[in-house]
Amino acid sequence: MNRITHWLWRYKGRVAAGFVCLAIVDVATLFVPLVLSDAIDRLTAGNGNLLVSGLLIVALAVVALVFRFLWRLFLIGASRRIERDLRAGLYEHFLALPASFYNETKTGDLMAHATNDIEAVTRACGFGLITVLDPLVMIPFSVGVMLSIDVRMTLYAILPLPILTIVMLTFGRVIHERFESVQEAFSATMEKVRENVSGIRVLKAFVQEEGSERDFARTNQTLANENMALVRVHGLFHPLIELLSGATLALTLWIGGGRVIRGAVSLGNFVAFAQYLSMLIWPMIALGDAVNVFQRGRASLGRIGVLLAVRPEIVEPEAPRPMQGTRIEIRDLTFAYSSADGVPPALSDINLDLEEGTTLGIVGMTGSGKSTLAHLIPRVFDPPPGTVRIGGVDVRDVSLAELRRAIGFVPQDAFLFSATIAENIAFGRPNASRAEIERAAQLAGIHDEIAAFPQGYETRVGERGLSLSGGQKQRVAIARALLLEPQVVIFDDPLSAVDAEREEVILANLREFFHGRTSILIAHRISAVRNADRIIVLDGGRIVDAGRHEDLAAREGIYRRIWTLQQAERRTVME
Amino acid sequence: MTTPVFDDEIAGKAFDARLMRRMLRFLTPYRALFGVCVALTIVLAGVELAIPYFSKTAIDRDMTLPYAIVTLDAPPSSGDALALGDGRYLIRPANVPEALRAAWERTGALGSERYAFEPEDDRAASSVVARNPEAFTPVPGGAIATQKDLASLPPRDLDTLRGGALAGIARLAILYAFALLVRFAFAVLQVYLLEYTGQRVMYDMRREIFRHVLRLPLSFFDRTPVGRLVTRATNDVAAINELFTSMLVNLFRDAFLVVGIVIVIFQLEWRLALIVLALFPLIVLAAWQFRNRARSAYREVRKQLARLNAYLQESISGMRIIQAFVQEAQANRSFLGINTAKFDADMRQIMTFAVFRPLMSFLSSFAVALVLWYGGPSVIRGGLSLGALTAFIQYVRMLFEPVLNLSEGYNVLQAAMASSERIFRLLDEPEEDRGGDEHVEEFRGRVEFRNVWFAYSEGDWILKDVSFTAAPGERVAIVGPTGAGKTTIIRILFRMYPIQKGEVLIDGRPIESYDLAALRSQMAVVLQDVFLFAGDVMDNIRLRSDIPEEKAIEAARFVSADFVEALPDGYATEVKERGATLSVGERQLLSFARAVAFDPRILVLDEATASIDSHTEHVIQSSLRKIMEGRTSIVIAHRLSTIRESDKILVLHHGSVVEEGTHEELVAAGGLYAALYELQFADVGSGGAASGD
Repeated sequence: MNRITHWLWRYKGRVAAGFVCLAIVDVATLFVPLVLSDAIDRLTAGNGNLLVSGLLIVALAVVALVFRFLWRLFLIGASRRIERDLRAGLYEHFLALPASFYNETKTGDLMAHATNDIEAVTRACGFGLITVLDPLVMIPFSVGVMLSIDVRMTLYAILPLPILTIVMLTFGRVIHERFESVQEAFSATMEKVRENVSGIRVLKAFVQEEGSERDFARTNQTLANENMALVRVHGLFHPLIELLSGATLALTLWIGGGRVIRGAVSLGNFVAFAQYLSMLIWPMIALGDAVNVFQRGRASLGRIGVLLAVRPEIVEPEAPRPMQGTRIEIRDLTFAYSSADGVPPALSDINLDLEEGTTLGIVGMTGSGKSTLAHLIPRVFDPPPGTVRIGGVDVRDVSLAELRRAIGFVPQDAFLFSATIAENIAFGRPNASRAEIERAAQLAGIHDEIAAFPQGYETRVGERGLSLSGGQKQRVAIARALLLEPQVVIFDDPLSAVDAEREEVILANLREFFHGRTSILIAHRISAVRNADRIIVLDGGRIVDAGRHEDLAAREGIYRRIWTLQQAERRTVME
Repeated sequence: MTTPVFDDEIAGKAFDARLMRRMLRFLTPYRALFGVCVALTIVLAGVELAIPYFSKTAIDRDMTLPYAIVTLDAPPSSGDALALGDGRYLIRPANVPEALRAAWERTGALGSERYAFEPEDDRAASSVVARNPEAFTPVPGGAIATQKDLASLPPRDLDTLRGGALAGIARLAILYAFALLVRFAFAVLQVYLLEYTGQRVMYDMRREIFRHVLRLPLSFFDRTPVGRLVTRATNDVAAINELFTSMLVNLFRDAFLVVGIVIVIFQLEWRLALIVLALFPLIVLAAWQFRNRARSAYREVRKQLARLNAYLQESISGMRIIQAFVQEAQANRSFLGINTAKFDADMRQIMTFAVFRPLMSFLSSFAVALVLWYGGPSVIRGGLSLGALTAFIQYVRMLFEPVLNLSEGYNVLQAAMASSERIFRLLDEPEEDRGGDEHVEEFRGRVEFRNVWFAYSEGDWILKDVSFTAAPGERVAIVGPTGAGKTTIIRILFRMYPIQKGEVLIDGRPIESYDLAALRSQMAVVLQDVFLFAGDVMDNIRLRSDIPEEKAIEAARFVSADFVEALPDGYATEVKERGATLSVGERQLLSFARAVAFDPRILVLDEATASIDSHTEHVIQSSLRKIMEGRTSIVIAHRLSTIRESDKILVLHHGSVVEEGTHEELVAAGGLYAALYELQFADVGSGGAASGD
């Protein structure tokens, strides 16, 4: 929480300056009724020249104009600065959290913290603060002047004002609750539409269009009903405020009018009094609202605090040791994603020794543990201590940046960012030259296709840009890893969406690149790994077979069955 | 100065008569209600206009004294003047005609002091005068006194003299309170009726959009993201509601108020009104400028926020890549850049508001100062009463709000127009072809594909010249690698997509000749990825049909979905998170029950490949066998048992049928099927495929 307090207190200077400006505006505004009162009394006394009064009002208005501008800039500006810092801090924290955290937390929840919660805090720091600071000047001054005009009038007139605060406080809560219900019903409606569109094939196949309409009618009606429930309170709110503030004026008219007729209060003071009263109404309402805004802000701050308190699991070693080469050794590795009972290990008893500069192929069915093994080397997930070594050092003892920079990792799902193709390829080396980018693309067998796009390498991909095919994305992701010129290459079946012939061409091109680098190739097609120095076959998280392609293809087992099928497929294609 | 205007046109027309007419059609059923709302709004604006009159009346009638003294050579030509001698006359300035008063103003004949006049023939008044002679100045027929003189009287005597005024104030206060209550009641009624109307209109719009979407062809869904359709039915509808409930009605209110205020202030003092109105162009210009800037600032904020959220979301999804490529610092820098851009946009918006809101307040104060400066002498000269001056000030302050509202309404209008355009574009999408008018009570169940060619997008053939026949009651298995076109065959049979070449026949007639609903209701599909809807188990078996519960339960028992009865609430158990709480096998059984409940002649199955425990596997196999009994079935098969028991096996590869025959025939042929069989079904301890029987 310390970090949060720091963020909140950082702009105390601005808040103080804003408060001073706000106070000046309040005082200037509060003087206007006095000028008006004086003018009216002068009129009653027969002095018709009000040029001075007019000029005074304009002068006060100029002061108010300048300082209103300033307090908005200072106070609201401070709240936006706090918002900016909070969000930046949260993002920095996100960057340090490991893959396991993102596996367990829904993106939607994280987004909600980063948007709704931060917004609630901002509102409390901006609007909330103003509504507390403003009455600090407004109420004592107004009430003071009103009391000096007439004590009895004041007592009667401010009678309904606390009711305003209470109305706001209670109504504010009920309105907030019902508003949440409306939001819920709104989300339910969205979800209903989403569900029906997603399940449209089933609905159409079973001819359920009309039934779905009936079903939707209920959700639709609920939304309308929830809205009306909100309106029943919310619709009452504004008129009620008007009624109560009107009541204070009616009381003033009655009591104050009598005082004027009896000569106890001047007409000018009566008019000024009415104006002070109307000036008090907004701060009294806002005060009630501020309580709610602060409560929500505090709850949101709490949630952000919980998120910030999540400790990054994968951390830098305290005393990093440099890698001596890139030999990869795995000893008695057993790994499970969760330590909870009943979660079977994803990998069991893995032993492996990969000499520097050699290539290892990994083959196995879906779910056999191939990807898990690949993820443990760059510490996307942490292997148990002492089980995975690179260059003679436990991967957990190598500095994270050194380890990961040494490894060119191409994951199965080729995630690309919304950016140009060139930017995506240069992701790991943003200052790479165009020639280097193109060379990497050429190696990955995607250059010609990129060049054929209207904007070439400057083509934007992602949600707002061109959507690449699965195979194109995969090859861009390969180019991204190749550009790093890594000492170690890990390919997690990155050509699954490319047809077999092209995969072979690309891999043939890459053979030279792999030369001298320690490489791990995971593939579902045997043809992709058959030239590896060694191939292991994984099944159920264990190594069930190992050897060179010729040996494995010669003996009975999973490897040979896959090989036979893939050859048959190829024959069919060729026919 | 002209740029923002062009900007509007680029951003979309703010008003399009054709769109407006289409939108108003949704309002037509509720036009009476809407009319009442508009009427109520105008009444409310009337009450609003009347409110400053209460204080005006109080000040002029009760709180100030009515008489003044004018010094003239001859008695005034009108008004009941009382001669006081020396050319001085006691008159009520309010009763003197304007022209005459103007003449007195020029000569300075009218005194500024105001007096109370107590006539002799009022006994109560004359006894007060008699008791307090020092406070009064005797005049012919009575006595006069100034406000200061009166204040020196003992309270009881003062009350006697000013009783009428005090009672008048009390009556006014009560009347005012009554007006407040009326305003309260009308305002509440107006809000309720208006919101009710708005909710009905939105309900109708959502219903119509939903109905239409369900009837669009599948090809439409392939090219339209789900999110976009959701937005049409929810957010866009809400934007139109904004137009009906807030903008359209407030338009009446604000226009009425502006016109009303202008008329009233002209009535009060036309010269002063002219001076204030000279400020009007300035106010409108400021409001206009404010609106333009506020809108572009708002758009910028939304744009930056969207960018920020998109980046954040992408970072979270791509965090593994960022970390694997050690790009945390770089990502952080980019985020800071976007975060700063958002902050700058916020600050620009704050600046806009920080300039214009105070500026509007300033203009309002300036107008008040003008009124005082010009109106003050007028009050002295009697042309404007004190009450009228205070009322004038109140009206001038009231004038600003509707002007600002009117300019902000423009934004609402523009947003509603944009939303309505998107909605109507969706509503104009052609619906799925409902097919011919052939209604067949019951198919015999003969399915034939005759040289079928099909592509989702032109030239990219997914099915190439596919032909096969399934006789009534026959079981056909389709096998082949992923992407071979197996699922497409199912879609075509259900007429989800029109084929390009060839024919698909059921019972010898092309499927296009059947009524679409009649065609589909005789077939049932079980998809590998079982789609479960929110609702309970029963809802998921009978979907939204009126199949009786008993029949649904019977269907569930028939497929041995016994697990349902063991669930906490049996058939009424909620299916949560799209069935995440159910196992794959259980979901599969539910979809079997669904298919059986609809009792189709033709059954189409996409078998699940996921591994299922051996008990469930056994249950599923026997259920499958039961439901296929006596029905024509087409199965995308993964299980050996299903395939082996099929009457015919089609091997599909790259959209073509490459092999066809029974299991034995195909194994003997030693082709693709034989290799597939070898990989998946030869006895291996584990792996994805199940061992079957």
